[in-house]
Amino acid sequence: MAADTQPDTGASERFEDVEWDELGGLGLPRRTQVLVVTALAYVAAVAYDVFVTDDAILSGTNWLFVLTLLVGVFFVVWPLVENRRLTAYYWRRFKKNRAAVVSAVYLVVVFVVGTFGPLLLAKPELNVLAAYQPPVFLSVDSTVPTTCVGQSADGLCHGTWQYPLGTTSDGKGIAKLVVFGMRVSMQVGLVTMLIVVSIGTAVGTSAAYFSGLVDEVLMRYVDIQQTFPTFFLFLIVTYLFKPSLFLLITIFGFLGWGGIARLVRSEALQRREESYIRAAENAGASDGWIIRRHLMPNVSNTVITAATLLIPSFILFEATFAFLGLTDPSTPSWGQVIASGRGDLDSAWWIATIPGVFLFFTVLAFNFVGDALRDALDPRSEGEA
Amino acid sequence: MSMHWYVARRVAWAVVATYLILTITFGLLAVAPGDGQTAFAFQAATEGGDVDEARETFDEITGRDEPLLTRYSNYMVNMATFNWGWSFTRNQPVMDAIAAAYPYSLMYAVPATLISIVFGYAIGLYSATHQYTLTDYVGTFTAFFGISIPNFWFGIMLILVFAVDLGWLPSYYQTGRGVWTLANAKQLILPVVVLSTGAIAGNMRYSRAEALEYVHADFVKTARAKGANDWRVLVRHIFRPAMVPLMTILVADILGLLFAGAYITEVVFQIPGLGLLSYRAIIQQDTALVMATTLVPVFIAIVGNLVQDIAYTVLDPRIDYGDR
Repeated sequence: MAADTQPDTGASERFEDVEWDELGGLGLPRRTQVLVVTALAYVAAVAYDVFVTDDAILSGTNWLFVLTLLVGVFFVVWPLVENRRLTAYYWRRFKKNRAAVVSAVYLVVVFVVGTFGPLLLAKPELNVLAAYQPPVFLSVDSTVPTTCVGQSADGLCHGTWQYPLGTTSDGKGIAKLVVFGMRVSMQVGLVTMLIVVSIGTAVGTSAAYFSGLVDEVLMRYVDIQQTFPTFFLFLIVTYLFKPSLFLLITIFGFLGWGGIARLVRSEALQRREESYIRAAENAGASDGWIIRRHLMPNVSNTVITAATLLIPSFILFEATFAFLGLTDPSTPSWGQVIASGRGDLDSAWWIATIPGVFLFFTVLAFNFVGDALRDALDPRSEGEA
Repeated sequence: MSMHWYVARRVAWAVVATYLILTITFGLLAVAPGDGQTAFAFQAATEGGDVDEARETFDEITGRDEPLLTRYSNYMVNMATFNWGWSFTRNQPVMDAIAAAYPYSLMYAVPATLISIVFGYAIGLYSATHQYTLTDYVGTFTAFFGISIPNFWFGIMLILVFAVDLGWLPSYYQTGRGVWTLANAKQLILPVVVLSTGAIAGNMRYSRAEALEYVHADFVKTARAKGANDWRVLVRHIFRPAMVPLMTILVADILGLLFAGAYITEVVFQIPGLGLLSYRAIIQQDTALVMATTLVPVFIAIVGNLVQDIAYTVLDPRIDYGDR
């Protein structure tokens, strides 16, 4: 693994004679070194934000989002770049599914635009004069908008490039709202997925590895958690406390990992019987080491697939609650825009339609990609559709 | 371990889960800042009453001035005896409000469930036995469409097309049109379509995957070799073993899917069922009604899980009770 720390040993010296401690121990691979530095920097930045400054640099949700991105870079992107051959192999299998490739491209665009767009664009603002503008290339009866921003001809108001996707009933540009909504959807989907996957994998592998009482206690707890439908729990909590995106992510993240834990447990139970685990045990590896270095990497393909298929459900939940008006109204979510267009279906159909199209395609794309990942990553699924 | 012992243990477990959930709910109620007192006082004020008096009345009704332990035992006793409180926005006991609302939920949820089972399983089985044909691909694509489309947006789009543009169907539900009338059926079409689309997709995926396990099984090959025709193979040799997991998935998962889906469907189509009742209670801060309407689906989910597990052991002789 660590090619750069290879010791300069003489030809006569045998492997057993090497004084590893003199050579600075086993040495940490570069990824781990960068990871530790980044983690410390992240903790310091969060601590500074929480304890030192009064005005928050980033909101809680945004901090979690940054954390998710860092985890993604270190545990997905970096290993893929390091193991080019394996990456190429996965890619060959993945690209067989054309719908999934198109979906992946779409998701990358949504991700990039959603992450960086809100940094460049100003927040959509109220502008009563620009209410009900139709999307560009389309027109609507001039009685619908109070004033027509674009050209007005033959009793029809035409859309302009100033508002490429039209405006809402309070004159906010839908294109901008869609961009801001991309960030909300990506944040909810990815951050919740990170929490769910972390806890689910830790619990699942521990239960399978330790078995006995630990397994019983953990899995009984999962049973209780799974019987309580998260949808209704969130309804109760959002009613009793002030709703926010952070609350939604926490509730779904910390109470939604039961399924992943069960899946990981059943997968890890099989892995636990493999001879490499026995070998590691006999070589004196600690429990934590075996779980981290031998169990987790070998269940990761299952986890990644399940995680990709979980993301769309979180995005849908967020949109649903935003539609019901049970989230923070200042969060510009797609669900909220759809709700605001509900009353104007007969005059301004585009308000409810356009954000929904984006929502639908985002969820569909995640489902396609998850399905293709299962085929690409799981060696046992070969030959099956 | 005998089956009776397993069932007894499983039932006991459901009771424990119920108890825990009630306790957690009580805990949430006790620590939460907003629990409807303000809304109650506000309502009293708009009706010309005294605000402070209303606050005291509220505390008295809910017993907020008593010690925590007394409140806890009272709460548990009330829950167990189905004395679930008084809805101040509707001026009736919570139980009466629920009893008045649930028939409306059944009116579209029952047809949607039946449709999703029949179509979902039929398409799934067909896809499995005709793998990699055009029909299979169309079916798979439909499944992706069904699980990906947001229920509430689908509902709005259907209203836009069939009610606003074409004018064929009403855009929202109106009460007082009877139950078994054409007018009522017409206004239930869109809710049933919205609710069943997602469920059909789910059933289809399950049944396709489940049936695929048996399509290439040895006993199916044997049956074919002995000259059984396609229909007999499908019904007697594939459908029968696949039924066991499908039956049990149905109970819990479909219930959950329908309940969460029904909530949003009722809000979109303004159907005065349990979902809309609960939603209005949340908006109007009617705590007792919020609690009751959210706990009902939770309990149904617990019972559903129980029935699922027991059905599984009864139906499938291969299950080993020792392994939960």
